[in-house]
Amino acid sequence: MARPSSLERQARARFTDPTRRRGLLVAFEGPDGSGKTTQRKLFKKWLQTEGYDVVTTKWNSSDLIKPIIKPRKNARALSPEEFSLLHAADFRHRVEHSILPALWDRKLVIADRFLFTGLARDVARGLDLDWVLKLYQPLLWPDLVFYFSVSPDTSGRRVTATRTPNYYESGRDVTQLDDPVESYHRFITRVIREYESLAIIFNMITVDAEQSMSDQHYKIRELFKQGAGRPWSDWNAEAVVEWLSLNGRQP
Amino acid sequence: MAKRNAREAGRLIAVDGVDGTAVKAAARASIADVPKRERGGVSGWDASGVFGDLIVAAQDAGRPSARTLLLLYAADLAFRLRWEIRPAIAEGRVVVAAPYVATAIAFGRAAGLPGAWLTDLFTFAPAAARTEAVDDAGSRKTDGGFVEFGSAFMLDARGNKRGDLIDRTRTHLLRLTRTRRSRLNH
Repeated sequence: MARPSSLERQARARFTDPTRRRGLLVAFEGPDGSGKTTQRKLFKKWLQTEGYDVVTTKWNSSDLIKPIIKPRKNARALSPEEFSLLHAADFRHRVEHSILPALWDRKLVIADRFLFTGLARDVARGLDLDWVLKLYQPLLWPDLVFYFSVSPDTSGRRVTATRTPNYYESGRDVTQLDDPVESYHRFITRVIREYESLAIIFNMITVDAEQSMSDQHYKIRELFKQGAGRPWSDWNAEAVVEWLSLNGRQP
Repeated sequence: MAKRNAREAGRLIAVDGVDGTAVKAAARASIADVPKRERGGVSGWDASGVFGDLIVAAQDAGRPSARTLLLLYAADLAFRLRWEIRPAIAEGRVVVAAPYVATAIAFGRAAGLPGAWLTDLFTFAPAAARTEAVDDAGSRKTDGGFVEFGSAFMLDARGNKRGDLIDRTRTHLLRLTRTRRSRLNH
């Protein structure tokens, strides 16, 4: 097995080679109904026309953990701690099996929700931010995070226009309210409050998601062009090294 | 998140070890020592069924890492605390948790994970009043205990064999329980 210091050198060499395009991670964050999925799809199409090899990863989507979470959500069987831990496990599995392999292969990864979703929702459920953040260690920081900002009213109006929010989405496990729409409004207000704090703490790029779809899209293009040339964050070395070593993967 | 609670701490016995069969036997012996009316039962791993579901899902979905397994173990432990351990303690009974936190931390240490991360992960779990370590080598069966189950996914990871991981877990576990016992005695 290669020593960690050697793996660290290999990781840095891979992500800081000035002669080649490196892997990039772009996260789209925001409450339900903020339009981030629409923007993510538009952004992906544009990136492909620009010659990027794009991979998308979605929240709670790993083939390994999603089948464990789904029936428990349907049965309303999860406490806030269990909900948080299972989503962190899903995230970890995707980091190790989808996100890091794609970044290593110099692809551009778009994450439709990233760990900030877990932080905002879990803290809104009453869990301690510091404890939740540690579940996601070693942290993998995106190169860019777009935060789609909407008011609780807009989020609620958009989400409830076509469907009734489900049990956990509406936070009924913590609000104890029977009415899903009322519960959603109360819960999303808490979630948005947490997001707004996280956006400041983690230096996210805030997109006014109340603007028109095309205005948002062109703004994202412009911000991406400005941000894509940023140097690789050394904070990510630990996550890459662990992935290389613990999973027995040799570059 | 739930905080540690002195009353709970007085009624919880932890039995940890790498050999699932030996841990179960030790847990049964421990609860048998408790007067019948105070018995709250034995809480075993995978009460929530996440690991049973993991086997079904794992065929094509990629092997879980030690971190992923430990996050699942913590989720299962949160379930056990909610449904098996805390309710029995609230009724004034004695519960034997077998395995509990030390087994998971030792497994994580043996797999090369940082001790601080492991300790932080389990801060939601109350400290046990008494901790017993079952010093058995592990049967190498994959359907035995958590360590035997988890180490089956670690094959070839870091170039080590499964048996090495089980042995290292045992070493870490004995060290951990010695430290805890010494803390409790003081």
